[in-house]
Amino acid sequence: MKDTETRCRDEQEILEGLKQAVLNFEPDEAVEMAKKAIDDGIDPSEAIEKGVGRALSIVGKKYEEGELFIIHLAAAGEAGSRAINEVLKPEIEKRGDKAPSRGKIVIGTVSGDIHEIGKTIVSAMLLANGFEVIDLGRDVPVDTFVDKVRHESPHILGLSALLSTTIPIQRDVIEALKKEGLRDKVKVMVGGAPVTDEWAKEIGADAYGTDAIDAVNKAKSLVEAS
Amino acid sequence: MSNVVNRGPKGNQLRLLSREEVEAVHNAALDVLKDTGIDCYSDKILGIFEEAGADVDREKRRVRIPEHLIDEAINKAPSKILFCGRDSKNDILLEGSRVYYGFGGTPTPLILDHRTDEFRRPGKKDMIETTLVGDALSNMDFMMTNAGVFDVPYEAEYLHEFEILLNYTQKPILYSAPSAYLAEKYLEMGAIVAGSLKELQRRPFIALYTEPASPLMLTKSQENLIGFAKANIPIAIAPMPLSGGTAPGTVMGSCVVGTSETLAAITLIQLVNPHAPVIYGGWGLTMDPRSGMCAYGSPEFAMGANAIMAQMARFYNLPSYGFGGCADGKLPGPQSGAEVMMNALVAGQSGVNLIHDCGYLAGGMVGSIEQAVIANEIVGMAKRIIQGVRVDDDHLAVDVIREVGPGGNFVTQKHTREHVGEFLLSELFDRNSFGTWQSGGAKDTRTVAKERIEKILKQHKPEPLGQEIRERLSEVVKEGERELTTKQRKAEG
Repeated sequence: MKDTETRCRDEQEILEGLKQAVLNFEPDEAVEMAKKAIDDGIDPSEAIEKGVGRALSIVGKKYEEGELFIIHLAAAGEAGSRAINEVLKPEIEKRGDKAPSRGKIVIGTVSGDIHEIGKTIVSAMLLANGFEVIDLGRDVPVDTFVDKVRHESPHILGLSALLSTTIPIQRDVIEALKKEGLRDKVKVMVGGAPVTDEWAKEIGADAYGTDAIDAVNKAKSLVEAS
Repeated sequence: MSNVVNRGPKGNQLRLLSREEVEAVHNAALDVLKDTGIDCYSDKILGIFEEAGADVDREKRRVRIPEHLIDEAINKAPSKILFCGRDSKNDILLEGSRVYYGFGGTPTPLILDHRTDEFRRPGKKDMIETTLVGDALSNMDFMMTNAGVFDVPYEAEYLHEFEILLNYTQKPILYSAPSAYLAEKYLEMGAIVAGSLKELQRRPFIALYTEPASPLMLTKSQENLIGFAKANIPIAIAPMPLSGGTAPGTVMGSCVVGTSETLAAITLIQLVNPHAPVIYGGWGLTMDPRSGMCAYGSPEFAMGANAIMAQMARFYNLPSYGFGGCADGKLPGPQSGAEVMMNALVAGQSGVNLIHDCGYLAGGMVGSIEQAVIANEIVGMAKRIIQGVRVDDDHLAVDVIREVGPGGNFVTQKHTREHVGEFLLSELFDRNSFGTWQSGGAKDTRTVAKERIEKILKQHKPEPLGQEIRERLSEVVKEGERELTTKQRKAEG
């Protein structure tokens, strides 16, 4: 039986280890440390917040300062989201708890477009920042977005497109939401290389994320404002 | 004679790879195609590979291509293409290391309006002006676009763009048609202009740009090449692998992915129609590791898209397709100018046959005729360097030196007047004395470029197509727009 002080120290070490695994871009190690955290009796929600979350906020800051690049952001995001998706979230669900969520987001690359690297980075960063993320993948039909909004009631719908031929589909999704009377039930965010602020306004989106960090910040503001 | 061919200067001075290294890239691509394979999101394309004896996993949509199919395809594809203009004075001969530059690329989501300095979405009127400017620029040998048509139903964007190109340029047209349907319509429109499909085949003034998806995917949109292959009209293969994103994080890793994708597409084309003309664009492109954007203005891009690609194309003895005159800079200015000089010169010295994207800003997000006018000037300088110098008695000019002697001058010499053509005169850049520049209004390059545009738009009138042809083209576009928009609405239920 460990005394409280030792327990605390062990706990600190494991959370620090999880944080370091993410900071070192080591997904396997992050998964291992997450398992260790559970074995040691650490609350999984705490592991998300103090392990993965803290690591990602450090990475995000360094990215904004130009010290780390998009490739680091993506790798840290992957390590963090694997620890969450493979270990911590299932554990929370197993306990019958609800994962603490900053908000629910449905996200995907629009139909006709198979480019999803950017969208996947955004997904990982949202997840690591405490959002509940339903990632629909790529080439997602307009109807699927509409159905998911209807049945999942997310706070935010994220629409990604890389091609100048597919960004018009972002408008189509928004129009379809209007037609189904769902537009005022969800905030819509758009992103992708050809997207601009003007485009977002033109099609009536609520926000445009210039990159993954910006997308997370905008998502936070949208949820807080709602 | 009306059929004089524009034989571009030969630029094969720049070689980065040794013969062994070229073979290493080829072998690496063969490994990738045989072991890893490519995914095909088209049953039609899967069927073609299957029938030819490739190893096809229908369930996973994976195709593994044996070496012999690739070798056969490379051998069958023609080594030279006469890419025609609607007017034969614009014909260009794609062979060996002859160099030609092209105006713009695939449609850009934004233009930089040269009248207001605003970035905005372009419409039909903008693309017409843009095309007229490109048609007038003397160093632009073939045409793509520096705008797009976004004030029509988006399903029909490409039809309208292609119609504008047919109407407003007499230079060879290379254009993207991201579906089999659009490609068929282009052929139909090309045949209307030519008089018949046979005439179009005899003098192809259109070519298809097709873009496999990286890494290692042929999507449904690559069905566009089936129609063009059958019709024997040239196809440029243009994959966009980005180092560290959709390709390994090295220049050569990106080149291997681009080479593999291009060889896969060439194999497909030759299976559809043996000896169909293809233009090799086995690019190894660059992702800026910090921003994640495709880095058009980076030195690695210039090497992977041009120098290395051109060496591979010559190894395969195929016409080549590269990049030049494009920038990551958002405005015409120091960054864009330096980037354009670098990639235009590298592409030219590498002997790339078709060098496209002149006028692109912001990594292809913005098309700018102002930047294109500046790029045209820079391309002129690059072409001049590629042409090199003549070394003979007349040019060494020892006799003239003797005649003038120490302390004299060469200004009034007949020899000087006779050889003045050796020097490329600037059309846009200012080489006057400071005083002359100042009293001429002290204009910066952008101002001069804008004035040039207005002059072109006032004066340049390409030979219009006949009334009946224009009407028939417009019919095809209208009909196509109707079909495409109803198809889309049906798909949306």
